[in-house]
Amino acid sequence: MSALLEFDRVTFAYAGSGVSALTDLCLRVSEGEGLALLGPNGAGKTTALRLAMALLHPSAGEARVMGQPTAGRMPEDLAGDAGFLFQQPEHQLFASSVREDVAFGPRQLGRSNVDDAVERALDQLELCDVAPTHPYDLPAPRRRLVALAGVLALRPRLLLLDEPTAGLDRHSRTLVRRALAAHRAAGGAVVAVSHDGEFVLEALDRALTLEHGRVVGDGSSAEALGQPGAPPAPAWARLVARLGAPPARWRFEPAVEFVATRCRVAPDA
Amino acid sequence: MTPLHPFTPFLLVLATALLAVLLPAPWGPVVLALVVLVIALLLGAFRQVGAALLLTLPLWIFLLILHGAMRGGEGWLAAIAQGSRLTGIILASLLAYRAFQPSRFLDAAATRGWSSSAALLVLATLQAAPRLRARVTRILEAQRSRGLRVRGRALGRARALVPVTLPLILQTLGEVDARAMALDTRGVGTARRTALEVVRMRGLDWGSLLVAASAVVAALAWRVLA
Amino acid sequence: MSAFTATAVGFRYGNTERAALSDVTLSLDAAVVTWFTGAPGAGTSTLLLLAAGLAPLHTGGSVSGSASLLGENPQSTKGRRCLAGRVAYVSADPASQLSGIAETVRREVAFAPANLGRPREQILAVAERAMARMEIAHLAERAPASLSGGEQQRAVIASMLALEPDAWLLDEPGSALDARGRETLASVMREEAKRGALVMVASEDADWLAGWADRLIIMKEGRVMGDGVPATLLADPSLGETGAGSTAVATFARALAERDARFAAATYPVTVQDALERWA
Repeated sequence: MSALLEFDRVTFAYAGSGVSALTDLCLRVSEGEGLALLGPNGAGKTTALRLAMALLHPSAGEARVMGQPTAGRMPEDLAGDAGFLFQQPEHQLFASSVREDVAFGPRQLGRSNVDDAVERALDQLELCDVAPTHPYDLPAPRRRLVALAGVLALRPRLLLLDEPTAGLDRHSRTLVRRALAAHRAAGGAVVAVSHDGEFVLEALDRALTLEHGRVVGDGSSAEALGQPGAPPAPAWARLVARLGAPPARWRFEPAVEFVATRCRVAPDA
Repeated sequence: MTPLHPFTPFLLVLATALLAVLLPAPWGPVVLALVVLVIALLLGAFRQVGAALLLTLPLWIFLLILHGAMRGGEGWLAAIAQGSRLTGIILASLLAYRAFQPSRFLDAAATRGWSSSAALLVLATLQAAPRLRARVTRILEAQRSRGLRVRGRALGRARALVPVTLPLILQTLGEVDARAMALDTRGVGTARRTALEVVRMRGLDWGSLLVAASAVVAALAWRVLA
Repeated sequence: MSAFTATAVGFRYGNTERAALSDVTLSLDAAVVTWFTGAPGAGTSTLLLLAAGLAPLHTGGSVSGSASLLGENPQSTKGRRCLAGRVAYVSADPASQLSGIAETVRREVAFAPANLGRPREQILAVAERAMARMEIAHLAERAPASLSGGEQQRAVIASMLALEPDAWLLDEPGSALDARGRETLASVMREEAKRGALVMVASEDADWLAGWADRLIIMKEGRVMGDGVPATLLADPSLGETGAGSTAVATFARALAERDARFAAATYPVTVQDALERWA
């Protein structure tokens, strides 16, 4: 499996800050993988994501996207390969309709099958009914989905997402999760910064935990949650763990299945 | 080094502007620009020097062509004088902007007994530029990540204007309300503000203002008498 | 006397057909953490804006009925003057609430009490304590704009703590906080309630709020649909009809009941402990 994103001892310090935001970060994300970047506020998670998009460049070490170093490249050079969802993505919307805004990226890249890519992205995130609407007329959670659709329509191999589920209601979160699963099934990779334990568990399989710019944990997302610096696992995952389910069953559907087949109902319930 | 009083840099810019007009051309403005340049270099403000040179470069070219190449002799001197005036004033303003600390400015205003709304009005004006720049950076980052090319041919750059300026305008319009609300939640304008630090003029402030004021008076006297 | 009352309150934003709030009548006590939840657009955020006196002043729109916070009318100029500095409003987007003026976090936290003209020594002492409570003392000299989203949220909350307010109006205050930050905020707000402050929180995060709210008010399309003890309302299978989300365990129990009728019950378990008692 080829690596879509590699960090080779990447160190980064913001100008004038004196301290490194990231120190000697190594990571590798291959086709089909989903990696969560976990850690407390200010641990350097967003910095790592920005380095991957060439919005920042390493002070030392090397970041590679699809095997190519990011040194000397700009985010627009990477736009076909990597897609970035910002923490406040609704700030980038500008077109007079949702459909036009989603089509902006692929048009910039001169893609031939723009319409297909746009319709598929709108369909995945259930935005077809609002496609002619002005993006600013939508409530904030749906604006966020529009921004994500704009990234998906670029059909990048590597998705870089900064808190993709923040402020989203349950149904929107499910849509995001499904879209990411489809992306990974098609050979894409996802790297996401998140404090949302349920999202991490359901949508991503590996997790790196950062603290003060250094890796303090690296393993499966099911086992990383609840460790120091990482968000807690969702309560139902803790529940089925207590009921004896193995980590492989710590996803919502398998967990329901587990309880339905293994547990009995107390007579007084 | 204790920082200057927040008002001092602005008064010094004012003095520079007066001197640039009053000092005898062409060598007065040239010396003035050189003095400002030396101060900038001593302060280590290399970025501001670079920015000032970059900003005034087209002006210099224009002046040299307009006055120098077309009129010769005297024209060259006039171009040098005019160019030095503008370079001196622009560099001094950039230096003042570099030294600017908004909350010390508020404290200084509160120490003087200004009303906080008046001080905030001045601040809001001065802060508009960095705020706008931060927002442009954020939008540019987002659009470039979607493949927007902002470098290269003029046509391409002109096309890039729409996806950057439209969100900028929409956000700026929205921000006026958001700012008012945010400052409202932070108690702005409800009482006379407390100075968190008592900011007063010190020796360095008085000294530099005295030098600048004497220079202005001397230049004025020379103008009147000569 | 209630710390907050709403009598037949309605609200409509300027350009919309639908009312954001309709006929809301409520009475909330101080020293109690009251949690508002509902589907997006249920009106919980609008209610907080209205209580804070920020709507319709800054949002536009029209209000009907009457509201009272700490005995004052937050919609009147006089009421707002009396309430200045006594009310802490925290929006879901912390970056938007920063002053944009303070060079350091310490000055950001001291900004609001300074605007209110409180004595300098008192401001500085209270600001230090507020930073310590929100665990950002180590960030005191950093520039607010350079902080991460979660750190900014802590700074904004600390800046409101420095007001020593009598009422807290928090709109999704944990949106950018890490797990530790959420625990910290929950315990700080419990302390504030214990001190006698009114605490109103709008949040869709049932798992978090179920741990520290005393009273839950469920809203749907601008109306109050339920009002009571959180554990009871969250366990009610009919909660789903309001569009409000319950805790992860209750949501799990619903999915389980839909899959297997044996698990259908008059109430759902709300916490891991409840569920273990039933199914272990």
